[in-house]
Amino acid sequence: MSRADAPYDPPMAAPDGAFTDADAELGVELTLNGAPASFSVPARWTLADALREKLGLTGTHLGCEHGICGACTVLLDGDAVRACLVLAVQADGHEVETVEGLADGEELAPLQRAFHEHHALQCGFCTPGFLMTATAFVRDEPQATPARVREALSGNLCRCTGYAPIVTAVQMVLDERRA
Amino acid sequence: MKPPPFAYARAGSLEEALDLLAEGSEDVKALAGGQSLVPALSFRLVRPSHLVDIDGIAGLDEIRESDGRLSIGALARHAALARLERAGSWGALAAAARAIGHDAIRVRGTLGGSLAHADPAAELPVVALALDAELLLASRGGRRTVAAADFFLGPFTTALAPGELLVETTFAAPPAGARTAFCEFATRTGDFALACVCVGVGPGWARIAVGGVGATPVRAPQAEALLAASGADAVEEAAATAGRELEVYGDRTANEGRRRDLVRTLTRRALAEALGSA
Amino acid sequence: MSLIGTDIRRSEDRPLLTGTATFVGDLWREGQLWARVVRSYSPHGILNGIDIDAARESKGVVDVITAADVPDARIPIRLPFAETPQATLALQPLLARDRVRFVGEAVAVVVAEDPYLAEDAAELVVLDLEELDPVADTRTALGAPALHEELGSNVVNVFPMAYGGDVDGAFAAASVVVTDTLRVPRNAGTPLETRGVLADVDESGRLVVWGAAKVKHFNRDVLAGLLELPPERIVLVEGNVGGGFGVRGEFYPEDFLIPFLVIRLGRPVKWIEDRREHFVAANHSREQEHELELAVSADGALLAFRDRFRVDIGAYVRTQGVLMPLITLQQLVGPYAWGAFELDASAVLTNKTPAGTFRAPGVTEATFVRERMIDRAAAELGIDPIELRRRNLIPGNSMPFRFEFGNGAPPIVYDSGDFPAIFAALLERAGYEELRAEQRRALAEGRRVGIGISVFTEMGGIGPWEHARIVPLADGRFCVQCGIASLGQGVQTALAQIAGDQLGVPFDAIEIDHTDTDTVPMGFGAFASRSTVLAGNAIALAAQDLKEKAGDGPLDAARLAAEDIVGEGRFEKEAPSFSFGANLSVVEIDPETGSVHVVKHVVAFDVGRAVNPTLLRGQLAGGAAQGIAGALWEELPYDDDAQPLVTSFVDYLMPTAEDLPPIDVVVLEFPTAGNPLGLKGGGEAGVAGAPAAVANAVADALGEAGAGVNELPLSAARVRALLGSG
Repeated sequence: MSRADAPYDPPMAAPDGAFTDADAELGVELTLNGAPASFSVPARWTLADALREKLGLTGTHLGCEHGICGACTVLLDGDAVRACLVLAVQADGHEVETVEGLADGEELAPLQRAFHEHHALQCGFCTPGFLMTATAFVRDEPQATPARVREALSGNLCRCTGYAPIVTAVQMVLDERRA
Repeated sequence: MKPPPFAYARAGSLEEALDLLAEGSEDVKALAGGQSLVPALSFRLVRPSHLVDIDGIAGLDEIRESDGRLSIGALARHAALARLERAGSWGALAAAARAIGHDAIRVRGTLGGSLAHADPAAELPVVALALDAELLLASRGGRRTVAAADFFLGPFTTALAPGELLVETTFAAPPAGARTAFCEFATRTGDFALACVCVGVGPGWARIAVGGVGATPVRAPQAEALLAASGADAVEEAAATAGRELEVYGDRTANEGRRRDLVRTLTRRALAEALGSA
Repeated sequence: MSLIGTDIRRSEDRPLLTGTATFVGDLWREGQLWARVVRSYSPHGILNGIDIDAARESKGVVDVITAADVPDARIPIRLPFAETPQATLALQPLLARDRVRFVGEAVAVVVAEDPYLAEDAAELVVLDLEELDPVADTRTALGAPALHEELGSNVVNVFPMAYGGDVDGAFAAASVVVTDTLRVPRNAGTPLETRGVLADVDESGRLVVWGAAKVKHFNRDVLAGLLELPPERIVLVEGNVGGGFGVRGEFYPEDFLIPFLVIRLGRPVKWIEDRREHFVAANHSREQEHELELAVSADGALLAFRDRFRVDIGAYVRTQGVLMPLITLQQLVGPYAWGAFELDASAVLTNKTPAGTFRAPGVTEATFVRERMIDRAAAELGIDPIELRRRNLIPGNSMPFRFEFGNGAPPIVYDSGDFPAIFAALLERAGYEELRAEQRRALAEGRRVGIGISVFTEMGGIGPWEHARIVPLADGRFCVQCGIASLGQGVQTALAQIAGDQLGVPFDAIEIDHTDTDTVPMGFGAFASRSTVLAGNAIALAAQDLKEKAGDGPLDAARLAAEDIVGEGRFEKEAPSFSFGANLSVVEIDPETGSVHVVKHVVAFDVGRAVNPTLLRGQLAGGAAQGIAGALWEELPYDDDAQPLVTSFVDYLMPTAEDLPPIDVVVLEFPTAGNPLGLKGGGEAGVAGAPAAVANAVADALGEAGAGVNELPLSAARVRALLGSG
């Protein structure tokens, strides 16, 4: 979706070096799941809200909006971050990956398959956040110890599973990579 | 829990940031990693009229060591600090950064942000105090250096004047033969600390800085004197003294007695680690 | 091979894994507006007026409503047996009228173009409040002016219950009497998805409401009554649901206000609760104070007990009426053959968020207080707590075991199970003897390790009935329609297994439809561990009906579809079933800080018959995690001015992956004769015994100081204080 196709009047680009009005809709261009995307939002909108409401990507969930539960986790330039703590305008010029980008068409990613195999989800609300945290983690720390796996997952809350099957699923993907 | 409205500017350089901070009235805040500011906005605890986004300014995140001093740009992320050598002079700094929140917080949160935010329970201000950090503040009018001991004035209150930005923090290495350690107590890993301690001990030299018990991080001078004089033999007594000598507040989360008790325990544990007998 | 008892992977997962699921926040209607509820910041006051002018003028605002704009109605009670004349005098209005009675009470609603603008405007609403003295706890409530004038008292009801005759005599004859006051703090289910409602009027003029859960049919009927519409004009739709745990799905003011606004404004309206709102507006639970005494003989026979307890139900009686004291009464008895007991339960109003159920309601609180006192009695007698329980568990050959009550009250009936055998299975799985040996070794090293046990009987499978319909489809599959609900527990998969098993067709040939209130004319919903039991048995009856109509031979869905042949079944259940469970917990305490670390936790449970063992174990493990959290970290305290002190995840300490051990689950099956499939419910049982086992483990680790364990949570500060911080 290029800026030219965006369903808004030509938006103001976020100019460097000058204050924009609080109400102003600022244009944001980013790479989203590997493809160019754009939207415009007031500066105070979070990246989580922009993804959900402007781009219709509702897989990123809002569980707390104060940066603790991790349900809103996305990748920003490859790092797992809380999208509720990033202003949407801060994503301008950056790369964002969301849960919608994990599967390859019909084929689920290894982590998604592992979660399914190990019953690592019940209500599923926390699942996208865990998948994104785990995606970055598995990429960056393929040799992680079991204790480090638990620590890496401790920034995401789950109310349903008690975590053990999630840890097992991530561990399984790490083991497969090493094999 | 949506942020209230604010005028927004993105700074492309430090100079631009300083101009914007000067222009944006008293009610202006700088936004870097956002891990403290954005939740505060979402809770509507703060309502700045203007926000200057400095998150993308290049060159403000360098970490340089020279002459036994470590200079860290304000935009250096906690994750970068956490990767510093654990065994070296900066081990306590690395340990403190490691204790902040979780990975997703550490990859965004910055040293400058943490120091400027001055949460009384925060980890990095305690290390700054313990290691005699010097903070380089910049404004359109120029530059000045403030010692950590003079920087933290109260809860969420620092010596930053309107229009000023913290750009670099320089930590002094402990003297030769000295060891440092950092220890905190939080209910769950990554929670705000109920108390945290940064210690350093070496021949004739001692530092005990404590956070989470008062309006700002504080040193424990009597306990330091005991340690500087007697080293490892004084660990128990120094820890007990630290627990007694400080002005400690109490609240529903932890009363005064509880915090004193934690200061003593954490000081002892940190000293034991520093002295290699943990 | 039967589909029942097979570990089939869930059919629900794909949309959840790919981010394409539709929780209510993910839905969108053309032209939708956003609602923001304005809530009281004061716990108690006379509401003299609300100034909405500034809010009305605020950017993007379309409307602002207050009590003056909505009917002067009250939200009714859903459960007939929990509805008393007194309770109906303390019901919650749709928006606060003349009074506010708790921090978080809805007083107005702002409607705007987006949620940011709605929140801006909501801040501009000004309340003209004359504050009254707040009542922050049940003790104060007893002596304070009535929060609801018509009721005249803050004690809504008192429920006495007595069994077995001479309680005084039993106490007089006892060798040991242990007495204490035990407290369970406020907790809440806290699902990760907050509540939300989206409503719109469709092309045919029907009011469609998304975000429904748990008890859709009842809620549809309440809404219809309040809007003065025939129920057929309304359909409640359940999409993906991010957990319920008792909290989501009850009828709250927003469940009326949002549809009301849709009709008023002629546009779709969406409301998504934020986390801070959820902490003050959605039901709390668990807060109880028990004055409990146990009488035990010299050789460890449990003779009698007395319990006088108060349940803090907050400022209003909501849809669950006075359920909480009633359900606690039923589960205080536990799996022991008491000679006599005397109970006295009261529901007390305070100026706090109204309280309802949280997973395993009543049994969790009851098990904590009773099992703590059993351990206290064991310590007094010098008997091993395991041994004391062994001596007193109702034996297998005593089933069915009945506690009869004189005054026409229904008996408590344990119809099946072998409690001692299940208890033994728990100890064996945990490796109890080796754990005690390890504990002795740890103690010798100066480490404080404790082992704790709990046993309980849990009420589940509550009726009155469920209906199921099996509709053969032209494509060869079967659509099974029923009136329960999914809260994320995998019920569709379990029911599909039952359907497939009973019809003799593969799992993939079954589609379960429980999505909306049109699917079946009536259903009672998902609570009290009833979904699989009630709907499962209804499906079995419907399958039988279909097979009879279809005649001999394998079922040909396409042919049956062409002939419009459908199977119908209605399963009625008068009395709940009781299942038995037990927990074992091992903790290690850091004596310098008081921190408690749970090293090991085992849950054993008799589910009657496990339809999908993996899903069941997931439920039990997840429940145990919540129970451990309630034992150690979670709490919703208020200050003396009835201001809530915990309103976000900063202070409501839910455990993370680092805080919990893997929960070990032992599932046993003693099928009940109470229903044809032999099922007992299992969705809640994981929670029930967990706090008690953890508390007993902490007490065990504390040694003599352990006698002081009578209150949760066992925070590090509390444990350190018990150890004596010097």
